Amino acid sequence: MNCLEFRRETLADPGRPSEAARAHASQCAACSQFRAETLKLDEAIVAGISVPVPEGFGQRMARNARGPDVERRRRFMALAASLALGVGIGAGAYVWERDDPLARASIDFVVDEEVNAILTSKPSDFSALQSVARALNVQIPQVGEVRYIGTCPFQGTIAHHVVVMTEGGKATLLLLPDKAVGEKARASARGLRAVVAPARGGSVAIISGASDLARLEQIVNRS
Amino acid sequence: MRIGRRAREFDEAVRTHSSALFRYAFWLCRDRGRAEDVVQEALMRAWKAWDDLEDPGATRSWLFSIVRNEHLRAFERKGLDIDDRGVEELDLPVDCRMDVAMDVRRALAAIPASLREPLVMQVLGGFTCAEIAAALDTTEGAIMTRLTRARQTLRRLMQGEVPLSEAAR
Repeated sequence: MNCLEFRRETLADPGRPSEAARAHASQCAACSQFRAETLKLDEAIVAGISVPVPEGFGQRMARNARGPDVERRRRFMALAASLALGVGIGAGAYVWERDDPLARASIDFVVDEEVNAILTSKPSDFSALQSVARALNVQIPQVGEVRYIGTCPFQGTIAHHVVVMTEGGKATLLLLPDKAVGEKARASARGLRAVVAPARGGSVAIISGASDLARLEQIVNRS
Repeated sequence: MRIGRRAREFDEAVRTHSSALFRYAFWLCRDRGRAEDVVQEALMRAWKAWDDLEDPGATRSWLFSIVRNEHLRAFERKGLDIDDRGVEELDLPVDCRMDVAMDVRRALAAIPASLREPLVMQVLGGFTCAEIAAALDTTEGAIMTRLTRARQTLRRLMQGEVPLSEAAR
């Protein structure tokens, strides 16, 4: 192998030198130096390529990807266990409702992604939000200060994301015009509670750790 | 029990590869939100086809291929053109724009996608030239040429020998 061949091979894949390349580098100081510089360049490339990954990304991706089968089975087992313990159908249904995947995903969004969404998404204005709210036939609660309005990806659709500070604490609203749900669904996890309510053609998720979730829910749902 | 084992194996694979898949998707579409959607859709497809994966050693390349196909399906069929935004316009987190890798990101964002993609696959995914050639449906020689050009261009850009505006040529 000559120097030109060595450099071509090195630039194509510096991490896997062939036997011939190793032998050449051991005999040629300039090419050995060239390989060292190329490996250093690759270290910089790795650092550049490695953009930050959203927190909890892998866990969330796995759960969402295989969600329906496993979640349904898990809920079924929870329901069956409830019945076996004699708690009754009502309690079983309550467990089912608490574990709704979309409501749970909205809680995960608030815990894992909300800060990043606020930092990286383009903010919207109130009039744009109002037009989405009108289309969904819901109203934005006038019970506190609106701290943030923006759009962000959520569950494969675009969510209109609102952060409201109420007397009872912070609440997040996700207006989901492309996420229709049949009936109201709830979840409670990670110190937060969420309700996803059907709206005209879509749905609205309200997520809060505050005690006034029910009040917010009443205000948001005009219909 | 079978469902449990299948889910555990899938979760383990996702945990192992999800960061690389997100970064690969990001450098394909150069948008964090879209990258997340692409990976999510790809993993849903992967879960549905999980039983078809005969060689666990091929999981990484299999998942990368699904992400790539999902990217093509989701964006190129919608008629979206190659993204030519500068790195300042990408929706990277604020702290990320200020870190030491900024020069590399700026250079990576400036080179043509045809050079960037094999480089990302090799550096991020650890794929050989032959594996990349198979994934991109081209020859190993063509991939070696593209990788060589990618590194040469990046080096020149980072050393200021070539202005960013000329990197795409």
